[in-house]
Amino acid sequence: MADFVTVHRALLAHLGVTRLLAAVGGSLGGMQVLEWALTYPDDLASAVVIAASSRLNAQNIAFSAVARRAIMDDPDFRDGQYARERANPDVGLRTARMMAHITYLSEEALSEKFGRTPHPGSAKPGFGIDFAVESYLDHQGQVFLERFDALSYLYLSRVMDYFDPFADPAALARLAGKDLRFLVMSFDSDWRFSTDHSRRIVRRLERAGQRVSFREIPSRMGHDSFLLTIPRYHDTIRAFLDRALEEVRA
Amino acid sequence: MRLRPDLELVAGLIPSGSRVLDVGCAGGTLLRHLIDHQGCTGTGVEIDPDAVLAAIRIGVPVIELDVDEELGQFEDDSYDVVVLSRTLQAMRNLDLVLEHIARIGARMIVSVPNFGWWRHRLRLLGGRMPMSKELPYAWYNSPNIRFTTLVDLEDLFARLGLTIERRITLNIKGHPLQVTDRAANLFAGAAVYVLRR
Repeated sequence: MADFVTVHRALLAHLGVTRLLAAVGGSLGGMQVLEWALTYPDDLASAVVIAASSRLNAQNIAFSAVARRAIMDDPDFRDGQYARERANPDVGLRTARMMAHITYLSEEALSEKFGRTPHPGSAKPGFGIDFAVESYLDHQGQVFLERFDALSYLYLSRVMDYFDPFADPAALARLAGKDLRFLVMSFDSDWRFSTDHSRRIVRRLERAGQRVSFREIPSRMGHDSFLLTIPRYHDTIRAFLDRALEEVRA
Repeated sequence: MRLRPDLELVAGLIPSGSRVLDVGCAGGTLLRHLIDHQGCTGTGVEIDPDAVLAAIRIGVPVIELDVDEELGQFEDDSYDVVVLSRTLQAMRNLDLVLEHIARIGARMIVSVPNFGWWRHRLRLLGGRMPMSKELPYAWYNSPNIRFTTLVDLEDLFARLGLTIERRITLNIKGHPLQVTDRAANLFAGAAVYVLRR
């Protein structure tokens, strides 16, 4: 996670930006924002951490493990040398992504979106794509191949598995006396990074005397809610940023 | 921004520089005032979505949670003062909430409407549930589910081992009211308590 922050800081340095009004991120992005705020608190006036986690639980790691296994057991993974050997573990990567996508949506969202609607092309029961939800997952897996590298996937999932910034006792100590504001948000139907994950972040910050606000946003869409236009969610970020801007201008 | 009179009274009871937990902070105006004018720090707790948004808009740290269920997340002695301003009458598990706030901070400020006010008693005598400026809701839609007189409440404080350091009785308009101890339960529309565990 620290490397991601380093890259972003290098970009800011290149652009000549010395301090950010806010760093805003959802999911892995939220974890980066948290890492950033805890490591370089002087860089930011405020940090918005959405649908993220400060420490994955066993279920999260279990899902990562299956995704990694799917990729690494693909014969075309070639022990990680697939690029050199002009191969690509398409099957594994697609399977990993299909499974991950299930965790991004709530049961309710999947039911609402697809229910048990048959896939238009399927005439009789078989082992192909019979249901609309299967077609959706297949499509998600397919488009993922066009924009994602298997080794990146392995590293990203492991970065999240090991992320545990509050384990460093100096992390919260670095924030002491800094002028930083936190907004942490979760979505009530998110079971990938449930509200418990966000509450843990809030507890750590609040107990360290940090200025932290927290909301759990009602949404039926699961983890993916952080990508959607949900009025209460956007209103909250707007209110928080409007205030942050007023404070730096004052 | 001018503070509501009852909140101004509460603010006056909070020492400068205190770390304050405002339980049921509404739009966060008390904390904003304490931060701006009394050098305080703190956190608000609120469940009403619009109020949470309003508090965030004025830069008050606020945690959206259910006071009845989720005060356990705050550590022992993590605040100097815990404020429970016109919140107590809406709590389901009032005794548990009071135990939590006593655990979180050694000093508490609790304000309540007094169900024992003489006009309420008259209304009840006339066969109707009390309504007033302090209790403006009808019985069927009121968020206030725990009606108490000052005497009943003071019994609960005693049972929980909370010491009343100070009691300020208010008339129905929210202004301080000088009455004898015994008459308070009849003539006060509301009261503000400073408690110690």
